[in-house]
Amino acid sequence: MKLRLLGRLAGAESRGSRGRMLFVVACLAVGVAAVTAVDAMIGAVNSGMRSQSRQLLAGDLKVGARRALPKELDGLLAEYEGIRLSEIAELATMLSLGEDSDSDEEEGAAGTDSRLVELKAVRGGYPFYGDLVTEPAGLRPGELGADEVIVGSELTSVLGLEVGSELRLGGEAFEVAGILLEEPDRLDFAMTLGPRVFASRAGLERSGLLTFGSRVRYSQLVAVPPGVDEEALATRVQTDLAEHAYLSVQTHRRAQPGVRRGLNRVEDYLGLVALLSLLLGGVGVAQVVRTWLAARTTSVAILRCLGLRSAEVGALYLAHVALLALVGSAVGGALGLATPFALPLLAPDLVPDNPGVLWQPGSLVRGLALGLGVALLFALPPLTAIWRVPPAKVLWVEADPLPAPRLVRWAAGIALVLGILGSAWFQSGRLLVALGFTGGVLVLTLLLAAGARGIMALAVRAPRGRSNPYLRHGLAALARPGAGTVGAVVALGLGTLVVVTVALVQQRMGEELNGELPADAPSLFLVDVQPNQWAGVRGMLEDAGARNVDSTPVAMARLTSVDDVPVAEMAAASKEAGRSRWVLTREQRLTWGAELPPGNELLEGTLWSAPGVQEVSLEERFARDLGAELGTLLRFDLQGIELALTVTSIRRVDWSTMGINFFLMVEPGVLEDAPHWRLAAARLEGAGEDRLQNEMAAAFPNVTLLRVRPLMEKVAYALGRLGRAVRVLGGATILVGLAILSGAVAAGSLRRSKEAALLKVLGVTRPGVALMFALEYALIGLLAGLVGGIGATVLSWAFLEHAIELPTAFAWGALPIAALGAALLAMVSGLLASLRAIRVRPMASLRG
Amino acid sequence: MDASPQMECVGLTKVLDSGGRPLTVLDSVDLRIEAGELVAIVGPSGSGKSTLLGLLAGLDRPSTGVVRFEGRELQDAGEDELALWRRDHVGFVFQSFQLLGNLTARENVLLPMEMAGMDGAAERADGLLQDVGLAERGHHFPSQLSGGEQQRVALARAFAPRPQILFADEPTGSLDAASGGRALELLLDLRTKLGTTLVMVTHDAGIAARAPRRVHLAAGRIERDERDAPAPHAGPSA
Repeated sequence: MKLRLLGRLAGAESRGSRGRMLFVVACLAVGVAAVTAVDAMIGAVNSGMRSQSRQLLAGDLKVGARRALPKELDGLLAEYEGIRLSEIAELATMLSLGEDSDSDEEEGAAGTDSRLVELKAVRGGYPFYGDLVTEPAGLRPGELGADEVIVGSELTSVLGLEVGSELRLGGEAFEVAGILLEEPDRLDFAMTLGPRVFASRAGLERSGLLTFGSRVRYSQLVAVPPGVDEEALATRVQTDLAEHAYLSVQTHRRAQPGVRRGLNRVEDYLGLVALLSLLLGGVGVAQVVRTWLAARTTSVAILRCLGLRSAEVGALYLAHVALLALVGSAVGGALGLATPFALPLLAPDLVPDNPGVLWQPGSLVRGLALGLGVALLFALPPLTAIWRVPPAKVLWVEADPLPAPRLVRWAAGIALVLGILGSAWFQSGRLLVALGFTGGVLVLTLLLAAGARGIMALAVRAPRGRSNPYLRHGLAALARPGAGTVGAVVALGLGTLVVVTVALVQQRMGEELNGELPADAPSLFLVDVQPNQWAGVRGMLEDAGARNVDSTPVAMARLTSVDDVPVAEMAAASKEAGRSRWVLTREQRLTWGAELPPGNELLEGTLWSAPGVQEVSLEERFARDLGAELGTLLRFDLQGIELALTVTSIRRVDWSTMGINFFLMVEPGVLEDAPHWRLAAARLEGAGEDRLQNEMAAAFPNVTLLRVRPLMEKVAYALGRLGRAVRVLGGATILVGLAILSGAVAAGSLRRSKEAALLKVLGVTRPGVALMFALEYALIGLLAGLVGGIGATVLSWAFLEHAIELPTAFAWGALPIAALGAALLAMVSGLLASLRAIRVRPMASLRG
Repeated sequence: MDASPQMECVGLTKVLDSGGRPLTVLDSVDLRIEAGELVAIVGPSGSGKSTLLGLLAGLDRPSTGVVRFEGRELQDAGEDELALWRRDHVGFVFQSFQLLGNLTARENVLLPMEMAGMDGAAERADGLLQDVGLAERGHHFPSQLSGGEQQRVALARAFAPRPQILFADEPTGSLDAASGGRALELLLDLRTKLGTTLVMVTHDAGIAARAPRRVHLAAGRIERDERDAPAPHAGPSA
């Protein structure tokens, strides 16, 4: 058959039944709109989150080292036009008010007019993202004079510094140009040694602190120009500068552990939502195409009588489906593309500073491609059903389509499975996840089909004698020829899977990302409390009304070997493997205690159970990074004294409590006599903090009080925003899912006018017909909801527990809601779509 | 008759499965149809008329027996071979018209000619619509035509690709007497004009009487094969 004729026939298929065609296109459009909208919203929200996480690093990328950065790095970065750079040097040093101060940090913090501070010297435009809040406003560290500094607000009370005060860093005098109120990239307060001081790079050089042996951390902060992917740049730095194994490369995505974990979880979640919305769209499209093609069998039979071959019939209807899919996809894509523009109304803070991110044209391409692909792919199985519509169907209505050749059926099935696998792989980027997802969908589909066949068999065998005639007919209708029960149950069941999974995952993640500070989280930390000062400090805290006062002894030590493998060797090896070596080489904080602090859960081993060795308990991820397990021997250098500790237990720590926690906890009786100080934490509400800070500075001048409320609020805000993103996208997917499911059910109800007319001839009233239809739809929905609900429970559990490691229980409680909800949805949407059929006059049955 | 007939079936049998038991709807039917012949297949409901028509036209497959068209056996031909054979040699007229609802009357007539790649299809479609009295209704969809008009479009479509043999299943069964009569006249006129073989199933004795040969079926067997005395033959004029 000529292509032109094929095209004309395909076009003609859209005529003559405009209402139904509109409905089909609308259903297709809803499916594609779902995919495009979710993808576009994910894109917009991701951009929003990226901008948020950029603030937490103050840039896109940070390359750092404990020595001067190699020249090759400058050359590499200079290749990118429009790139912005800011050099940063950080070191811990003593700040003093006196004339003559020692800059050696190792001597510790003592005396009333000096303090251990974290000095950050900047050249260039730091921060690129986020705000550095200063008093007076608008100061930028890179623009400070060589004799100017900005000092952390803590120093105003403890040292009485104010704007214009003079202080000494290294051997040189500096003037306080401003007070630092907020620093965008400082969240990791648990590792903080002291208050922050900002200087310009020229100031640092002038201070004379950059002498041989200074423990300076150098970094280059980078803001990439548009179109450059910071992750790709990070990878390039790591590969091209592989010989400089000491470099650490951090992107904003990896910036802050707490937020990063939330961000990773949300990204995994968004991937899941995108994948599920794709499946949902596919199911909707498949169901619509299936019922539409079923209505075309007489036309197919006529064409076969007129001499069209099977392949020509297949090509004709494939072309037609493509035409419908194109129109539906274009309409749906446009709708989907517009959806993110509703985000600012729903959740203004999800797209805070750049409305441009709402425009996601990439999603349109994706929606169009996936819409067309999914429509054609999902149309394959129903197309095989018309492959061999017998031409004799024009003579005998009851002539059923012959099964398509086995090869065609297998090929269609395999193409469908490969298509789902490909989409899942494309979306998740992980083959194993894609295989698991595809396998799960297959198993669920088989379960749904088996369940549908089971209920059809039951419908045939159910005793008919004295049961309610409406129920009897509703039940019998499930097993009538051409009822499409299996297709409807599979579609509705898969749809239920998607909607319930998204709802369950969203609810659990929402609990985690609620954006509220933990009720007992500390609002201030006290560093360098000497053991003999603790009683006085504690009393002062309690007098000020502080709650949850907690303190832990801290001894600083350096790890020297793991199972007698020197740390230097391990660091080199881990660098080659692309892992951070910081975990090995940094100064470790060790604490001790008889019992685990709250929020700690023992995973392996027993606490303090091995006599004869000095025991240590490790946090699970720290143990993993170290490659340590039960029985591993860790050696430390504690200010010149060697310490050998055996790992006898591994713990999981709930870091979200924001309380005091340590990677390394030693058994009591080992470190008590070692040099140590106490780290204290407490929660104080309201304005008491100012007064406490002043009193503490007067009574215990060596103690540094760090106020972490603004930092915690920043973390809580970031996490809360992620939580809102989860809820908005989840809610949108669920709404779209319900619309698609209604469409899928409704598509199957369009061909019931004849049946309704005949029932009326036989004396059934309109409410009676409606009741019969309602019972039938409700039974389909009940079965689909039950099986889909079980699938959703398993899938959501697997995703939460394994993909994003969020402990959770099986949500069996969702099952009855899923089953009844699906039954109600199927009943309402089925009835709404059958309204016309129910209203048809009985005369119609006489006209054939 | 020594020359091979245009259409022939030998021992044609069709057995259906009826609730697990075999039901013979056509039983060892032998029939020869010559080119240009007009044959009416008559019989009561359930006698196997439509089954025989479907088997002869290659719409269905026999359980046993042979169907030949111009010496070529059809019973073992593939689905697509049969489709191509129908495209090139066969025309149909159905009781329920079976027009494609999404095509206009003219497009319905054009379709088989376009599929066969015939030249001058448009002019021929217009001519045929004129012949059936629907020249002005070519742009109408089937749903906008009366039953009689739809059947006349179906007639034009059936004759459009110049089929050698045309099968008609109760061609007036869905029409009132006046419309049915007009459709029948048209069918017979066109058939005479084009010299097409016509095999027509009917249960109407009046219509059957218009055919010079009547094959009576009962319970799936040929009860009798009646022929009128030979009449002067009008040759094809198309």
